[in-house]
Amino acid sequence: MTESEPAAGGVLPPAVEATGLVKSFGGVRALAGADFAAAAGEVHALVGENGAGKSTLIKILGGRLRPDAGSVRFGGEAIELHGPDQAHLRGAWTVFQELTLLPWMTVAENLLLRHEPRGALGFIHRRRLSRDADAALERLGIRHIDPDALVEDIALAERQIVEIARVVIKNPDILLLDEPTSSLGEHEVAWLFDLIRGLRARGKCVVFTSHRWNEIASIADRITIFRNGADVGTYRGIEESEAVTLMTGQRLDTLFPPLPPLAAATPMLEARDLAGQGIDEVGFTLHRGEILGVGGLTGHGHRELFLTLFGAQRAGRGTIRAGGKALRLRGPRDAIRAGLGIALVPEDRKTEGLLLPMAVRDNLTLAILDRISRLGVVRAGREREMTRQIAQALQIKAPSLLHPAGGLSGGNQQKVLVGRWLLAESRILLLYDVTRGVDIATKHEIYQLMLRLVDEGRAILFYSSDAEELAHLCHRVLVMREGRIAASLARPALSAEAIVAAAVREPLVA
Amino acid sequence: MARGSSALARLRLGRDRRRTLYALAAAAMLFVLGEIVHPGFASLDSLEAVLTVASFVGLVAAGQTFVVLIGGIDLSVPWILNGAAILLVTSSLGQNERAPYAVALTLAMGAGVGMLNGLGVAFLDVPAVVITLAMNGIMEGLTLGLSGGLTCQACASYAPPIVQQAVHRQILGAPAELYLWLAVIIIVSFVLGRTRFGRHTYAIGNNLRASYLAGISVRFTTVMLYALSGLFSALAGILLVGFGGQASLGMGAPYLFQSIAAVVIGGVYILGGRGSYIGAAAGAASLTALVSVLLAMNMPDYGRSIIYGVVILVLLLLYGREESER
Repeated sequence: MTESEPAAGGVLPPAVEATGLVKSFGGVRALAGADFAAAAGEVHALVGENGAGKSTLIKILGGRLRPDAGSVRFGGEAIELHGPDQAHLRGAWTVFQELTLLPWMTVAENLLLRHEPRGALGFIHRRRLSRDADAALERLGIRHIDPDALVEDIALAERQIVEIARVVIKNPDILLLDEPTSSLGEHEVAWLFDLIRGLRARGKCVVFTSHRWNEIASIADRITIFRNGADVGTYRGIEESEAVTLMTGQRLDTLFPPLPPLAAATPMLEARDLAGQGIDEVGFTLHRGEILGVGGLTGHGHRELFLTLFGAQRAGRGTIRAGGKALRLRGPRDAIRAGLGIALVPEDRKTEGLLLPMAVRDNLTLAILDRISRLGVVRAGREREMTRQIAQALQIKAPSLLHPAGGLSGGNQQKVLVGRWLLAESRILLLYDVTRGVDIATKHEIYQLMLRLVDEGRAILFYSSDAEELAHLCHRVLVMREGRIAASLARPALSAEAIVAAAVREPLVA
Repeated sequence: MARGSSALARLRLGRDRRRTLYALAAAAMLFVLGEIVHPGFASLDSLEAVLTVASFVGLVAAGQTFVVLIGGIDLSVPWILNGAAILLVTSSLGQNERAPYAVALTLAMGAGVGMLNGLGVAFLDVPAVVITLAMNGIMEGLTLGLSGGLTCQACASYAPPIVQQAVHRQILGAPAELYLWLAVIIIVSFVLGRTRFGRHTYAIGNNLRASYLAGISVRFTTVMLYALSGLFSALAGILLVGFGGQASLGMGAPYLFQSIAAVVIGGVYILGGRGSYIGAAAGAASLTALVSVLLAMNMPDYGRSIIYGVVILVLLLLYGREESER
């Protein structure tokens, strides 16, 4: 063993420690001299806006990235990590934000990848593989995931759970989690936090990042705040407003802007008895100027509802009316063209919304090329003018409109997507989890934008996995369960607790 | 050094344009090399000859560019081209008055077969590799069967004189074929860069699902792109008979590998979404220059094949590296 000197006063050295970390990507400095330390037996939260350097820090600690400068210590011992395997040897394992499972293999195969039980000749023992995986899931309190299911066939939240389980069964001393809850519903978050508490009780060190303050407050022993690639400080029991001020360098009076009451009830979008894959008997009316929330646990038909309304998934039964006119949707094109127009900001903006390598301009005008072309030729001047205006109106921060959309921050990418539909003159916006993985200041901006959009006479159908957000931002909230609308909550009965309660009540009797 | 790099920075070349420049620089270097191993190689005459040969690869590569831009590929090039060449001579019988009809028929055949490829990819969800390979086999069978293995009486016909002239006639000191290619370069670049169709093509290549959700008719665009690829293969077939006078069996064989190589050398991303036709055209020029230099060095066939392969692998590795650095 090298210089693992006992620290002064008999205090154990931190389980994991980083000093003076610097890391740049191209011209962008992700970390600029960041320090961090977490002890064994503690749950340590990393908070900060997008781009503050949290994910980069986690990647360095997990051995996925090498810092340009600075050092990493495990249990007081300085280690130069050349890859994840070395971090694993020190007991440090990482759960990543982007999913790394192999979609065409089963849950069991993914769980035990590289650690498969072998038979006599060194071949994988398939029956034991399945049994071992089953036992491992059982131990972690996961009962609803079939180890023999293909990863491709299970829901996003379930994949995230498998991702976490895969790492936890390695019995890590230091567990690093990058936004583990962003795709989890309340139920799954509760499961994860029980798991984390168990690890803490066994003296393990857990480091995680999250944008959801109530989660952080409920489980973290200490919180380190990041801003612009460096740590601002580490705190024990800090108020949200204070933390937000430290994260953003400015004070946000209230995260949720006040919601103006709904004036007249003019229906803009009506669904009656809508049924199809994953949804059944869905009916609601969305009015002009209204923000209608859709909540509930993940995997209960929200995504299918949004895709059906947008024409990207066939409705087996029922009617959709926009502005009183019944729609026949054969594809998103019909939805976009249908009188008032329907717009969808899809679940994962990176895979379903934006063309990341293409210019911001191209992304903005993608849905309206018909309108700004003459004889099939895009009118460059008109395009430039329109995109400039919309970028200004939405305050899209980009070096230039010819910059690739992938180079923008998460919040600005969302704005580009919203901008696309504003250019298409969509009056009904279907916003699907647009605040997922977005930092607090940007969330605030998106909320204000949403209010402005409805104030201008549009209507918004808004799905969010964050019940708090729905409760504050929506006139009404539909809670979905098993593909049906289980409850419709309006003020004053509308609260985060009421949404969660309606989402988890006993299963419906058919 | 510092001044040089800041000048380069000021140029702010996009990656696509940089790769086009690489390809052109490679062609120029090959001419210098050719002059060294074989004095007289870099003369204007041989430049003209190299570019003329390159133009046929370039035309096929135009079609290949269209489909590679959406992450597809067209392996039916050889026998669409060969079939087109034979269809042209058999339907025109070498007569000028039948030429317009024969050319139109041949182009329609190419576009039609390409469209079938596109329909398979867009509606049946068959991978492009599979359907275009199958189509190549079908076209080979049809061509051989209908022409009786090129033994039919009409098969011995020459290309109509006006088609031959469209390739050979000198205009302002250069063969008409090169003007034709230049026109194709300008038109294809315009279509890809400035039109709605071009924008849709890049969008689909970058993200099919997102394009669909933005209301783009992915299927229509896909079918059109494969039809264009077939059309360009047929056009190359027509001009090749015009160039050589008569059709032969197997004349399309070299164009599959070369068209894909040109596209890759020119910096069109093989998985779609990025690249330009001007790059692919430059790729065709440098590839042909390479072939000519190897010929001048008396490199045997097998040696050329190996060098082709190595060049493509090295370029893919280099471009892949550039990708991950971004």
